[in-house]
Amino acid sequence: MIEIEGVMSTGQLPNSADPNTFSMVQVDPEKCQACGNCHEVCPTGIIQPIDDSGIHKVVDPAGCVNCGQCLVNCPYGAIYEQTSFVDEILAKLKDPNTVVVSMPAPAVRYGLGEPFGMPPGAFVGGKMHAALRKLGFDLIWDNEYTADLTIMEEGTELINRISKPDPKHPLPQFTSCCPGWVKFVETFYPDLLPNVSTCRSPIAMLGPLAKTYGAEQAKVDPKKMYTVSIMPCVAKKYEGLRPEMKSSGYRDIDATIDTRELAYMIKKAGIDFASLPDEEPDAVLGMSTGAATIFATSGGVMEAALRLAYEVLSGDKLTNPDIKAVRASEGIVTASVDVPKFGKVNVAVASGLDNAAKLCEEVRAGKSPHHFIEIMTCPGGCVNGGGQPLDPGVRISDAGSPLLDNYKNRFGISC
Amino acid sequence: MNTIMELTRRSFLKVAGVATAVAVTGLNFVTTASAAAMDFVGKRQSSVYEADAKIYKLRKSQDNPMIQKIYAKDGFLHDGPCGHKSHELLHTHYFDRSAGLKALRAKGIKLKL
Repeated sequence: MIEIEGVMSTGQLPNSADPNTFSMVQVDPEKCQACGNCHEVCPTGIIQPIDDSGIHKVVDPAGCVNCGQCLVNCPYGAIYEQTSFVDEILAKLKDPNTVVVSMPAPAVRYGLGEPFGMPPGAFVGGKMHAALRKLGFDLIWDNEYTADLTIMEEGTELINRISKPDPKHPLPQFTSCCPGWVKFVETFYPDLLPNVSTCRSPIAMLGPLAKTYGAEQAKVDPKKMYTVSIMPCVAKKYEGLRPEMKSSGYRDIDATIDTRELAYMIKKAGIDFASLPDEEPDAVLGMSTGAATIFATSGGVMEAALRLAYEVLSGDKLTNPDIKAVRASEGIVTASVDVPKFGKVNVAVASGLDNAAKLCEEVRAGKSPHHFIEIMTCPGGCVNGGGQPLDPGVRISDAGSPLLDNYKNRFGISC
Repeated sequence: MNTIMELTRRSFLKVAGVATAVAVTGLNFVTTASAAAMDFVGKRQSSVYEADAKIYKLRKSQDNPMIQKIYAKDGFLHDGPCGHKSHELLHTHYFDRSAGLKALRAKGIKLKL
C-alpha cells in the first residue's frame, strides 16, 4: 500500500481487463470503525456492514458505480483505491520511444492547487499545464477541448431528437458524461438506455481523437502514443477500461489517474507547483472555452449545451452566455428556457443518484416534461468527485473523539 | 477474544464520539457538518463560474477556433457533428447490466433502490 494525498492505494494496475469484475475502491477492515458514513453517502448502498461488528465492505462490484464518495467521506481513511497507473506512467514518461499524452478534465484545475497549500477551488489551469510539461508529458492536450466537442455532438443530437422524433432515440435525452451515472442507468434503469445520449464522454472522445486526428496533426505514430486521462473521479478508471473503448483501433485510453495522483506525481518530482508560470496547452486538441470549463460543476453541461442550442434553434446570437437558472449547487433544478422562434426548452439538472432516480421514475412513467436532463453522480458535480483532494474537515485525528475533531477541523476551533 | 475486543473498541468509539458531539454542539451537528462540506464544494463551484466569466476569452463551444477547424469542410470531421465519422469514433452504445443486480438480489443483498 502507498499513501497518495491522504488516501491509501494498492498502487497496482487493474486486477483484470474487465472492470466489471472488481470495484475501484475497497474497505480496509483493520481501519474501519463501523461508523456507517460510507453507507450513508453511497448512492446504491452496496458498501454495507458484513457482520455484527459493523465492519463495512463493497460487497459486490455489480452494485458499485465506482464514484468513490465513500472514500472521500470516510473519517478514518479506511477506504483505499484498488487501481493505480502511477508507476506505469512514470515508466512511460522516461521511455524515449513513447509519446505520452496528457488529458486533464475541467474539474482537476479547481482542486489541484489545494495539496500545494492554495485555497479551496483555486483555479490552477495554467500551472497544471506547466506541471504536466515539467513532468515530461510530450503532448499537453486537454479534455476541455473535447468538452467543447461534446457540446457540438450532444447539442446536435438533442436538436435532432427534438426536430425529428424517433422512437429509437426518445426524449428526454440524458447526458452521458458521468461514468458513475452511466453504469447506474445500465444497472438500475436499462429500459431508459435509449434516452441516454449516444455521445461518449469528453475523455472517451479525446482518447480516440488523440490516436487518429491528433497523431496526424502532431506527426506521431499512434502506436507509440500513451494517453493519460487525468480526472477528478474514480469511476473514470472504470470507464477507461470498458472493453468497447477502442474506436481508434488501439486502446483509446491507456491510463487513468485522479487529481490526487497527479498531485502526488508533481510532489514526487520535486516541482514547486505554486511558483510555476501559467502555460497554455497544445492548441489543436487543447484549446477550450468557458462552456467547457463549467463541465466541472453540476449544471455546467446543461448551461454549455444551452449556449449552443439557443443559437442554433433561434438563429440569433446569445448576448449574455450566463444561464443562471440551471446552476445547481445540489439536488434537482428544473428550468424552462425561452428560445426565440422555437419555444420552450425544458431541462432538469440533478446531482446525486438518489435525485437521478426520481427523474428516471418520472421518465419511466411517461410523465417527464423535459427535453434534456443532466445527471452527475457526485453532489455538486465533478468538483466534488471521488478523485479530488480531500476536504480537510473530513478526517479525524488519531486520538480523541472523532466527531468532536471533525467539528473542530471544520470550524477551526483549537481547544 | 480478539473479535470481542475489537467490537468493544469500535462500539465505544462510536458511542463516545456521538455523545461528545451531541454534548458540544447539540443535535444539529450532522446537518451542520454536511452544510460545511457543501461550503467547501461551493468554493470550488464559485471558482468555476468565475473562471468562465473572467479567465476564458471565449464562452461558447461553437466559437472555439479549434472546434471550427475540426468541423471545417476540409477538416477531420468534415461531415459535421453527429456525422458518419463522429458516430464511428465519438459515439457509443450501452449495455443492460441488470442481470448483475438480479443476481445480487437473489443472494439476499439489500440495496437502497
